[in-house]
Amino acid sequence: MPRKVTFTAGVKGGATRELTVEVHDLDVDPWGVDAELRVVGTDAMRPDAPLKATGRAVYTSDVRPNDMAYARLVRSPYASAKVVSIDVSAAERRKGVLAVTVLTPPGRQVTFAGQGVAAICAETEEILDDAVHDVVVEYEAGRPLVTTDDALAANGRPSGKPEVRGDPDAALAAARHRVAATFRTQVQTHSALESHGCVVVPNDDDTFTVFASTQGTESFQQSMARHLNVPTERVRVITEHMGGGFGAKLGGIDQWDQAAATFARDLKRPVRGMLDRREEHLVAGCRPDSVQELELGCDADGRITVLKGTTYGTAGNGNGGAGAANTRVYPLPNLRMEQATVPTHTGRARAFRAPGHPQGLFALEGIVDMLAVERGEDPLEFRLRNDPHPVRQVQWREGAERIRWKETRREQPGSDEGPVKRGVGCASGIWYQRGRGDFVVNVRIGRDGGVTVTNGVQDIGTGTRGVLAMLVAEELGIAPASVTVVIGDTRYPPGPASGGSTTAPSIGPAAREAGAHARQALRERVARAWEVPDEKVSPKDGGFTGPDGRSVTFAQACALLDPSGVTVSGQRRPNYEGFSGETAGCQFAQVAVDTDTGVVRVEKVVAVHDAGRIVNTLTARSQVIGGVIQGISYALFEDRQLDRRLGDMVNPTLDTYRVLGMADCPEIVAVLTTMDSGFNNAGMMGLGEPVTVPTAGAVANAVANAIGVRVNELPITPARVLAALGRSR
Amino acid sequence: MKAFRYLRPDSLDQAARAHAAGGVELKAGGTDLLDRMKERVDTPDAVLALLDADDDAARTITRVDGSLRIGALCTLSQIAESKDVRAALPALVEATLDAASFQIRNRATLGGNLAQHTRCGYYRHASFPCMKRGDAQCPVLEDGAVQDTAGVFGNGACASAHPSSLAPVLAAAGAVLTLRTGDKKTPERSVAVADFYQPPQRGRASDTVLQPGQVIAAVTFAADGPGAATGYAEVRQKQALDWALASCAVRLTRAADGKLGARVWLGSVAPTPHRSAEAEAVLATGSVDAGLAAKAGAAASATATPLAGNRYKLNLIDVVVSRAALAAAGRLR
Repeated sequence: MPRKVTFTAGVKGGATRELTVEVHDLDVDPWGVDAELRVVGTDAMRPDAPLKATGRAVYTSDVRPNDMAYARLVRSPYASAKVVSIDVSAAERRKGVLAVTVLTPPGRQVTFAGQGVAAICAETEEILDDAVHDVVVEYEAGRPLVTTDDALAANGRPSGKPEVRGDPDAALAAARHRVAATFRTQVQTHSALESHGCVVVPNDDDTFTVFASTQGTESFQQSMARHLNVPTERVRVITEHMGGGFGAKLGGIDQWDQAAATFARDLKRPVRGMLDRREEHLVAGCRPDSVQELELGCDADGRITVLKGTTYGTAGNGNGGAGAANTRVYPLPNLRMEQATVPTHTGRARAFRAPGHPQGLFALEGIVDMLAVERGEDPLEFRLRNDPHPVRQVQWREGAERIRWKETRREQPGSDEGPVKRGVGCASGIWYQRGRGDFVVNVRIGRDGGVTVTNGVQDIGTGTRGVLAMLVAEELGIAPASVTVVIGDTRYPPGPASGGSTTAPSIGPAAREAGAHARQALRERVARAWEVPDEKVSPKDGGFTGPDGRSVTFAQACALLDPSGVTVSGQRRPNYEGFSGETAGCQFAQVAVDTDTGVVRVEKVVAVHDAGRIVNTLTARSQVIGGVIQGISYALFEDRQLDRRLGDMVNPTLDTYRVLGMADCPEIVAVLTTMDSGFNNAGMMGLGEPVTVPTAGAVANAVANAIGVRVNELPITPARVLAALGRSR
Repeated sequence: MKAFRYLRPDSLDQAARAHAAGGVELKAGGTDLLDRMKERVDTPDAVLALLDADDDAARTITRVDGSLRIGALCTLSQIAESKDVRAALPALVEATLDAASFQIRNRATLGGNLAQHTRCGYYRHASFPCMKRGDAQCPVLEDGAVQDTAGVFGNGACASAHPSSLAPVLAAAGAVLTLRTGDKKTPERSVAVADFYQPPQRGRASDTVLQPGQVIAAVTFAADGPGAATGYAEVRQKQALDWALASCAVRLTRAADGKLGARVWLGSVAPTPHRSAEAEAVLATGSVDAGLAAKAGAAASATATPLAGNRYKLNLIDVVVSRAALAAAGRLR
């Protein structure tokens, strides 16, 4: 029977809410915001840190089984062309080539540069590379539409279904202050350190072991099984460690995985199919660009009354996904926002760390700053008045104090002496993930005191192992270091795909429940040994105490177990009605702009974020720092540069596709708001994506404060800064 | 990459003789060549591993009177850490430290830096046409091309930009390259860094006058000292691990009779290191202060022929010329 439990959700020392919820009879009571916890909420080194720091961690690209062959695709250099003929005979004849498959027979169209036209498998990478160049493809090249602007000019403007409320035109006419501006953002590629791909090992018993760099072991397993036409349980997917994904490795297998699997099955030997850096940039996903034409108005009291605009961008040769989330933070009584996706002959976009949000918030927070300037008001004051979110209200103030907003903001933008000018800016963030699913986590306690946590979930680099260990350790009353976490393997119970910042809040509450069940199992065993009822046995410091001053340590309690130990499960239960369905967050950036060269340096970022209860504050801050770094990189550097006539990428390397490095990394102050989300027994929410949402907006607003003119196009390059300053020649 | 023979010479002379055979690519640190070969922009039959040559002089930095001789196989790290180089030509240390990363500098050599090929994305990816690789037109010059890192001088036929940050400093310092020829009668030839580069030609990848049978052995230059000082400046978008958008070295000289002189060399703005006679003329007119330095910058950029996508480089040229001139003036004793 479910039981009713009342607890307090919300911000510690701030806005809270009493929630009365029905708790599943197998689940533990929610902690609530005031719980005093021993392990959860502290800094703990991730269990695999030594392996990663010393290079011993085995990533998919490190897996080299005996007798492994290599697979790769032959790719079209044309963005729009018809395949007239394709001759693979020379490749087939080459010594060491094991198999060749034509993917686009004559007559088929290619629709982006980099599209696979044939697949080859060979004994060595060297032979494979030669064989790829043996393939002769005759194309009838058409004129590709490469940029969003070119596609618009050729095909007209697609219309989207507008989001409308109130009367935006009347509200704009009635607005006391209004501003209009167009914001542009570039295409960003994911540029994870480890490329996409897998190693497929066919086993003697007609099963397959697949080592994959994936954000979803289970979805990868299912789509691989479908491709191989075998039952799911015959495919085992292992993702021991992975070198990043940022959304590009969600959603099952890709064309190159299919090729590797087909070759492996047919040749009955392991086959590796992993992309190189150029392929990563061209075919493995990107963040769509955007053009956002916005108008924003407020009343005489400085309350935002209306946002009106259109936004469009290209998701490449696909549909949808190019929206910009620019309507979500501030209440907009009057709104009209029309969003459209413009198809182009370019590689398809994929989910990228907070899809739509970095671009949307860059534009929204840009125009909010402009309206504040138009009113002659401090942009932070303007935001505090217009942002009703109880958590962000706290965060704005906390961030302002840490960046010393009053002292560092230039009342007169661009007023610094000399060519290098400084300024500060801020922007909000928003995200929505509470976790979900009915995932099961197993905990086994051995007679020797060993504790093992198992689930199929992958760790995409965020520290999932540590989070699971800490939640179980909290319940068992032991140190997280004494808990072994075995994940990233579909032979264990299915885990969530790592998309939407859902991993920790989807799996964490199940781990906590499993830890509680494990403790109860031990307690029952101790009670049996002492021949007393369970309730006479109380947990204490990992061990137990009972009547007549009896006590056992954790190790002594475990020694009472049967030889097989005890295995229990915890399950992710449905969400409760939480404190707030949104994670808030805001960031403040301080920049220095050299107005002679147009070069922007970010000197400091204060990032204030919440994600419900933070289990491991060390890896959570690390996520914040990573999100800020990726956000600055997006604001200043990253740009997929395509030749407009050919559609091929001019900078498909990591020396010419600029990604922020250590030297450009500012001081980053990561502040985590202490709270309990109220959605689950641990009060957790997702953190991975919201932390990169505000950054570009904060940097752009800081640049405007520093130099007195706005750069409303990303990345903020020297050329754009000089142009904004009117210094271009 | 295409299979190749890997030749391991005992000496630079032997290397020069092997190089004369043709179809042979010189490899020092290999940080540039490896990229080109992987992309099959370069498909040599044989690669000559210069680092295998047993030649101490090519790895040594030596002071000779008022000059410094740096062996061509010295790594950039060796140059950056050398007290002798810092004393003789601090601008060279600055240019070296601005290049690439620690890891690359530990491997890349002086000779390789001077002979490296352009970073032009069209040149470096075989899927694009490229005049240097034999196509009729340079695609960078056409509408719709990505032009932001392209050259703004001498870009009529090819808009590549020469990436070496050391070359402008050495050219400004009047450095001379010693080439080994492998020839018994004339085992060495000299060529000034200023004359080492030649404009792009259809089908020729190299930007230098180095002939088959020639290998760079050393660079020699007169040290900064009384009446001579060199300054260096560059602008990059990132603070490290990025290519310069524009770089400049200025050497100012004041002869015993008081006569002033200036040499101004720019990098990353033309297919080869670019000498600005216009800036030199301005800087030789008086003692260099902020006003004169700015005039020199303006004179340097005035003759540029930018493309639609890289006009901003004119501003950067103004800045690097002016900053390098002021740095040189600050050092002039």
